[in-house]
Amino acid sequence: MRNSGAVLILTFIAILTLQAAGVSPPGKPRLTSCRSPEKETFTCWWEPGGDGGLPTTYALYYHLENSETVYECPDYRTAGENSCFFNKNDTSLWVNYNITVVASNALGKNISDPVEVDVVYIVQPNTPEHVTAVVVHDEQGPFVRVSWEKPRTADTRSGWITLLYQLRVKQEKDKEWEEYNAGMQKYYNVFSLHPDKEYMVQVRCKPDHGFWSEWTQTTYVKMPDYITRERSLWIMITIFFVFIVVILTWTLNVKRNSVKLCLLPAVPGPKIKGFDKQLLKSGKSEEVFNTLVIQGFPPTTDYDNLLVEYLEVYDNEEQELVQDGKDLSEDCMKSKSPSDIDSGRGSCDSHTLLLEKCMDGREGSGSNQHQYSQHGETRWASTESSESQDPEPGSPESANGRGKTWPVVFPSPQPQPHHHYPVGAAKPAYHSVPEILNHLSPHAMSSNYHQLNHQDILQQERRFSKPACRHSQSYNQFNLDGIDTPAPGVAPSPSLEYVEVQRVNPENMLLLRPLSDPNREPEGSDCTREDYSKVKEVTSNNILLLQRDMSHQCVDDYSQADQCTTQQPPHPCKPAVHQSNSGMPQEAIRVMGNGYVDSTVLMPSY
Amino acid sequence: KKISKILISLVICLLVNQGRASDNQRLFNNAVIRVQHLHQLAAKMINDFEDSLLPEERRQLSKIFPLSFCNSDYIEAPAGKDETQKSSMLKLLRISFHLIESWEFPSQSLSGTVSNSLTVGNPNQLTEKLADLKMGISVLIQACLDGQPNMDDNDSLPLPFEDFYLTMGENNLRESFRLLACFKKDMHKVETYLRVANCRRSLDSNCTL
Repeated sequence: MRNSGAVLILTFIAILTLQAAGVSPPGKPRLTSCRSPEKETFTCWWEPGGDGGLPTTYALYYHLENSETVYECPDYRTAGENSCFFNKNDTSLWVNYNITVVASNALGKNISDPVEVDVVYIVQPNTPEHVTAVVVHDEQGPFVRVSWEKPRTADTRSGWITLLYQLRVKQEKDKEWEEYNAGMQKYYNVFSLHPDKEYMVQVRCKPDHGFWSEWTQTTYVKMPDYITRERSLWIMITIFFVFIVVILTWTLNVKRNSVKLCLLPAVPGPKIKGFDKQLLKSGKSEEVFNTLVIQGFPPTTDYDNLLVEYLEVYDNEEQELVQDGKDLSEDCMKSKSPSDIDSGRGSCDSHTLLLEKCMDGREGSGSNQHQYSQHGETRWASTESSESQDPEPGSPESANGRGKTWPVVFPSPQPQPHHHYPVGAAKPAYHSVPEILNHLSPHAMSSNYHQLNHQDILQQERRFSKPACRHSQSYNQFNLDGIDTPAPGVAPSPSLEYVEVQRVNPENMLLLRPLSDPNREPEGSDCTREDYSKVKEVTSNNILLLQRDMSHQCVDDYSQADQCTTQQPPHPCKPAVHQSNSGMPQEAIRVMGNGYVDSTVLMPSY
Repeated sequence: KKISKILISLVICLLVNQGRASDNQRLFNNAVIRVQHLHQLAAKMINDFEDSLLPEERRQLSKIFPLSFCNSDYIEAPAGKDETQKSSMLKLLRISFHLIESWEFPSQSLSGTVSNSLTVGNPNQLTEKLADLKMGISVLIQACLDGQPNMDDNDSLPLPFEDFYLTMGENNLRESFRLLACFKKDMHKVETYLRVANCRRSLDSNCTL
């Protein structure tokens, strides 16, 4: 009892002393791994725990699972330091090995934890051998063919072990490897590598149930410099298109004129006869317009004669007409044609003699067309009124007229550069308004004004030359007799002709018919005549433009006989009596008696 | 005429043999593939089992690890390459047959131990596969015997402890693990034997790779 206790105490003291001296039993070793490279042998490695300051020896002991016999490691050297190598004879498959390592030194020993190992499941083959990477040139492009050998120790031929291979590729600068599984074959083709670059290749293998081997040493391969088929195709396409574009541009350049014609068709320039573009460009409008004027047209001479021919003498009936028209005088005074651009020759010149406005207040006695020139000349009405009872036809008014203005003959206010005048019989239908007035004798003037009112003709036909207007006819005759000198300006037409207004069409045109027979009854409504003319307009030169119209239809123009009489204004000019109750503010042509169209004549001063 | 007849019959025999041989080859390849699949299945099962273990269960398992006492321990099987190389093909086939047969019945309890996607669809999937493989191997054996009398004594050996595994509790963690481990090991054995046998009999198989 005492001895054991003393021994214990002594041991304890010894240990303490030893520990104080720095020596101790060995530390616990640890088995790190056991591996079999070919499923025939295997090796185990351990890690020493610490030698405790004293030389320590290690021993590995194992026993199989189904027996208790403990064996020691047969070979400590083959595999190196701290290892135990089991050769073929000592290796049994499908059997668990219970392995422990014991470390022992002078002071004691230490046993590691046991490890159960089944050799079949710890297979880790050696690395593949003889890895080669070769560039193969193909029509599709070059690629790399990597080939290798199996690890020497692995027996795949007998089927004892089945190996699966894997390789990886990357460029030097890349971080990630590109891995490829090669299966059981010993070569692999790597595509899609960039040209002119160097690649690193490594291979490893694994049994069907086991661990991957280590990677082989790096094998380098350099890709040749080549142009991919795809890129070369794109280059060709680009060149082709550039070529096409160049050709097109050159062609367009050569044919630019015709292209221009095609794309931008020429705009036809103005084709006015006598119109000179250059003059227009120069900016002198006067010259331009002057060129448009045809010299000698219309004949501006002998207006007086012309007018004189057509002067009419008014009698008392006219005065009645004048009285009736009195009411309108005020209206007419107030209204002025805004478009009257008469420069001073009297409102007879203008197309838009204020007949329209004057007609507004008229009720049916369209006879009084009171118009005022821009110059404020007195109305006819005033003159008329002053001479209500003057038997002299038109004389009071005409006498009073300080410058009566003839009514505008023409309804159509459009100025036409061309003067359209009828030929032949229509020639005598020129009416030059102002000159007529100027040259008229007071009597003649007074009786020979003719006021044409152009009323609203759209709905109604104008009726002319009522039987009641016969008086005017007589005047006409008077006039005609009185004026027997043909206007020299009318040389082309030696005979004068009265023109009868037959109808005014909706276009505000006065359809005239030359009166070949003075005794002709206006009521006859002779429709067989071909020659009549329609008044087209009054020009700025105070010329009444008549137009011959052959397609006339007979119209009953004589329905408004009374109005005819009432409408006759006591003007020197011979007015054409119109009947229109519409009162529309349009120019109206007044027909007197038979209704010759007469130009407006300025009222001579009464 | 006789000679010609003999020649013709020889030719036919050769052809038939060749046909049979090619058929045999195909069967062998098929058997190898099947057993390989079974082995992979077993490996997956045990992995799933281990993954589903709780940490303390894992510790418990490692401590009491002895994986001995598999059902197939009674079957004498080569345990090394040399032994395997020395064994005849017929022997290898027979051993394989026995191994597969030994698992036919216990495979039913295998499905109970591991509930994973492998066995969900068909609980008897494993048993059916084993049965098919067993039949294939028997055909191969017949082909290999080729008229020779059956000298194998092991055929009549009764399977010891049929309910060997059944006596172990199903809920026992250790037993479950052992069951799975034994299954995996046996499948690997069969795979190895069949591969070796296949490579031995035909040079143009994958063995030369």
